[in-house]
Amino acid sequence: MSARIRLELKVNGKSRELDVEPRKILADALREDLGLTGTHLGCEHGVCGACTVLVNGQAVRSCLMLAVQARGAEILTVEGVERDGQLHPVQQAFRESHSFQCGFCTPGFVISTLAFLAETPSPSEEEIREALSGNICRCTGYQSIVAGVRLASQKLAAETGAPVASGA
Amino acid sequence: MRTIGTSIQRVEDERVLTGRGRYVDDVVVPGMLHAAFVRSPHPHARITGIDSTKAAAMPGVVAVLTGADMQRICNPMTIQMLQGYKSPAFFGLATDTVRFVGDPVAVVVAESRYLAEDACDAIEVGYASLTPVATIEHALDPSRPAIFADVGTNTLFEQSHTYGDVDAVFASAERVFTEKFRQHRYANVPMETRGCVANYDPSTRELVYTVATQSPHGVRFALSGILGIPADRTRVVSGDVGGAFGLKGFVYREDVAISAASKHLGRPVKWIEDRNEHLMASAHAREEDLELTVAARNDGTLLGLKAKLVMNQGSYPLLPFPSALFTSIMRVMLPGPYKLQAYSFDTTVVASNKAPYVAYRAPWEMETFVRERMLDIVAHELQMDPVDIRRKNMVTAAEQPIHMITGPTLERMSARETLDRSLALFDYAAFRDDQRKAREHGELRGLGIATFIEAAPGPRDMSAALGFGLGKERAHVRLETDGHLTVITAQMPHGQGHETTLAQVAADEMGVPFEHVRVVYGDTRYTPFSLIGTGGSRSATMASGAVLYGTRRIKEAVLKIAAGMLEASVDDLQIDEAMISVKGAPQRAVPLAQIAIMSYMAADHLPGGAQPLTEVDHDFDGDEGGWAQATHACWVTVDRDTGQVKIDRYLVVEDCGTMINPAIVEGQVRGGVAQGIGGVLYEHSAYDEEGQFLAGTFMDYLLPTTTEVPTIEIDHLETPPISPVNFRGVGEGGALIAPAALTNAIEDALAPLGVKITEQYLPPARILELTGTI
Repeated sequence: MSARIRLELKVNGKSRELDVEPRKILADALREDLGLTGTHLGCEHGVCGACTVLVNGQAVRSCLMLAVQARGAEILTVEGVERDGQLHPVQQAFRESHSFQCGFCTPGFVISTLAFLAETPSPSEEEIREALSGNICRCTGYQSIVAGVRLASQKLAAETGAPVASGA
Repeated sequence: MRTIGTSIQRVEDERVLTGRGRYVDDVVVPGMLHAAFVRSPHPHARITGIDSTKAAAMPGVVAVLTGADMQRICNPMTIQMLQGYKSPAFFGLATDTVRFVGDPVAVVVAESRYLAEDACDAIEVGYASLTPVATIEHALDPSRPAIFADVGTNTLFEQSHTYGDVDAVFASAERVFTEKFRQHRYANVPMETRGCVANYDPSTRELVYTVATQSPHGVRFALSGILGIPADRTRVVSGDVGGAFGLKGFVYREDVAISAASKHLGRPVKWIEDRNEHLMASAHAREEDLELTVAARNDGTLLGLKAKLVMNQGSYPLLPFPSALFTSIMRVMLPGPYKLQAYSFDTTVVASNKAPYVAYRAPWEMETFVRERMLDIVAHELQMDPVDIRRKNMVTAAEQPIHMITGPTLERMSARETLDRSLALFDYAAFRDDQRKAREHGELRGLGIATFIEAAPGPRDMSAALGFGLGKERAHVRLETDGHLTVITAQMPHGQGHETTLAQVAADEMGVPFEHVRVVYGDTRYTPFSLIGTGGSRSATMASGAVLYGTRRIKEAVLKIAAGMLEASVDDLQIDEAMISVKGAPQRAVPLAQIAIMSYMAADHLPGGAQPLTEVDHDFDGDEGGWAQATHACWVTVDRDTGQVKIDRYLVVEDCGTMINPAIVEGQVRGGVAQGIGGVLYEHSAYDEEGQFLAGTFMDYLLPTTTEVPTIEIDHLETPPISPVNFRGVGEGGALIAPAALTNAIEDALAPLGVKITEQYLPPARILELTGTI
C-alpha cells in the first residue's frame, strides 16, 4: 500500500478534497470518497462508456483515469447535470424518448451526449451514431437513444434560437 | 384519463437519468468488507494444495475462505427440480477439483476491494491437470473423464418424446431432408455485472442479502436451505438492477460463498464482479447442436419432423432450475405455427469444462432458429419460395382452435396475419427483381423472413405439454388512507418499466391518476412469493392480471360504500380522476380519498353496513392465456471481399395483444433484435479445443454498438382478446427470432455461391470461409 495523496478538485461546481491512494481510479474516488454513485462501472477497461464524466469539458472514461490525475480539474458527473432541480434538456429528451431501460449505461450516455452536442449542436443521425458508438447499451437497440439525442439537440437549439438539422 | 395504450413517461427515468438509481454497488453498509475471488486458470484440474498464509497476513485482509470452509459452513448445492436430471452436489468454492476456467477456488475478504484483489495474487494454488471435456463431442466420448465423479457420466439428462406415427409418416414422405444445426455459446452480458452485499447479524441470526437479481424469492429459497438459515430469517432485497436478460434469475456459487463469508465473520461483505469475471465465469447460454429431419411432399407440405438435441450445460448447474428444463420448451415449441402429422424430439444434456449454462432471453430459442432456417433450406431444395412454404403450412385463423402436435391449443394465434402484414409493407417481387439485377453485378443481397409464436403466457394446456407449470402470480393491492394505491408485485423489474406499466393497469382500473399509484417490489419481507420473479415474458399477462383483478376487488368495495353515500346503485357509479360520481349526474359525487379514510377510520359505520376492503392479495392464473407472435424481415448486403454483413433494413410485424405502453413494447422488441443480431455477427463466448477461455474482455467479446444496430421498423397488430387480460409478453420475441431472420437473409444473399448455413455464428472470417474466399 502506498502513501495517500491529498488533492483538490471541483466536482459539479463545488470544491472537493480527496485523500486517496495514487492507484485509485477516478471512478472509484467519485463513487466511494465523494458518494457520487451515479457514475457506473460497466467494464473497468475503457470500452463500455458507462463511467464517462466530463473533465474540464472533455468526455473521459473515469475507469481509465487515476483520481490523482484530476488534481485541480473541473469534473461534471451525472449528479451535476440537472438545472435548479429540473431535468436538463438532454435528460428531458431522453425521458420523452423512452431512451433507456435498466438505466445502468444511462449516466455515461447523458454525459457523452452533453459533450457531443456542445461540439455538434445540430447533428445528423449518422453523426449521432458515430459519436455514441463508444457507449454500450445492452437493453434498447439504441434507436430510442438516437431519437433522444436528436430531440435533445432540438430542445437545446430552441433555448438558444439556433437552427437545427431537420429529420434525420 | 385512460393511460393504457399511451407511451406515458416512465416513473423509473426520474432517478436513472439523474444518477439517483440505487444499484447493488451503490449500497454501503456500516462496517462493510469487500471480497474478491481466486479463480482457476485451468479448465479441469485437481487442486493439490492452497497456501493462503501470505495473503492472510497482508494488511487489511480479514479472512481467506476456501472450499473446506464452504463444506463446514454450508450444505451442498444440488438440484431436485427435474425428474431424471442427474445433479452433482457441489459447494460455493471448489473443494478438490476445478471444472472450468474461472471456477472459484478461494475468496478473500478485506477492508477494500483493492486490498482483496492484492491478496488474491498472493494465494498459491497447486493444480494437477486433468483431461478436459471442452466440447459436446468430448462430453459424448466415453474415454473422457466424467467431470463430476458423484454423477459418473457427462450425460446428465436424456429424454425422448414422440407425437403421432413418426415411422409411418416418414415412410409415406416423398422427400426427406436432414441437417445438423449448431448454435454457438454466447451470453446475456448485462451492463451491470453480478454483485451482492451479504449481511449476517449474529445477534438476530438473520441474513439480509442485497443482490442484483431477477428473483429475490428464488435467491432466498436457495440460500436459506444451503446456509441452514430459516427462511423467516433470510431476507433478500434488490433495488435497481442493471439488466439481466435471464442471467440474474439464478443462484450462483458466489452468492453462497459471500453469504457464507458473512455468516462466518458476522460482518457485512460486498462483492462486485468485474467484467472479466463476468464474461469468463458468470454463465453463458445457447450452446446446442440439433439434428433436424423433415418429411415433406414435393409440393412443400410438411408432414413430420424428427429432432435430436444436445445441449452443453457446461459445468455446475445453476439453482433452482437446471438448463435441461428449457429443452422441454424447445420440444413443445419447435413445430411453431405449422401443421404436422408426426414429430419426435430426443434430448441429451451434457456436462463439460465450461462456465455454467444460463437462461438467456428466450432460452428455448434453438427451436425457432432451426425451424425457420430449415424451412428456407427445404424451400430451396424444392425450388419453392420461402414465403410460399410458410403460407402453405402455417395454421390460419379459420383453422383455429386447433392443437399443436405437441398439445397446446392454438386459438387467436395470429402468426399468419403477421406474415401477411409484413409482406404488405414492402414490394416482395420488386426486391427479388432488384436482387437479381444486383447479382448480375456481383453484389450479394439477401432477404430473410422468419416467424415465431411464443407462449406468453400460452393456453391453459401449455403446462401439461411441458410437463411443468409456472403457477399463479400474486399481487398485493392496498388502498391507502388518502385514496392512493400501493401495488406490491412479485415481479423484480430490471429495465422492463414495471413501476410504470403496472401503475398504468391499476390506475386505469381504479379510475385514478397514474401518479396516485406506487408500485413496489424487491424485498422478500413483503413481496409475494415467486420462484421466477421477472422472467419468461410473464409480467405483461400474469403480473398485470393479478394487479388488474386485485384492484377491481378494491374498487368493487369502494363502489358499494359510495353507493350507500350517494343513494345510487353500484351499476350507476363511475370513478374518474379519483372522484366517484353518478353517471349523468356529476354533482352527485364523493372523492375516493373520502371513501378511503372512512374505510380505515369509520369501518364499522359505513352507509348501509357496507364492508370496507383496503387490502387484497390476488392470485391470477392467466385466464385463457394466449400467444405472442411476430414475423421479422431482414435485408442484408454481404461484402464479398471483407465478409462484412450490412443490415440494410429490418422490419418487425408483431402482435402482443393490447399494448400497455407502446414505447416500452417497442423498446423490448428492439433490444431483443439487437441481441439477436449480436449473437449472429459479433458475440461468442469462445473456448479453445482444450477448454481455455478466449473472450474475457470487451475487446474479445464484441457487443453491438450504435453503428452496428440498424433502425428497426415496427408494425403492430392486435388480435381481439380471448380473455379480459389481453396483454402478452414481448420480452423474448426479438432475441428469439432475429437470429433466424438474419441467417436466412445471409444465406439468401450467398445463394449464388451455393452456401448453405447451418450454424449461427457468422462473423466476417466465417463468411469468407463459407464463400471460399479464405
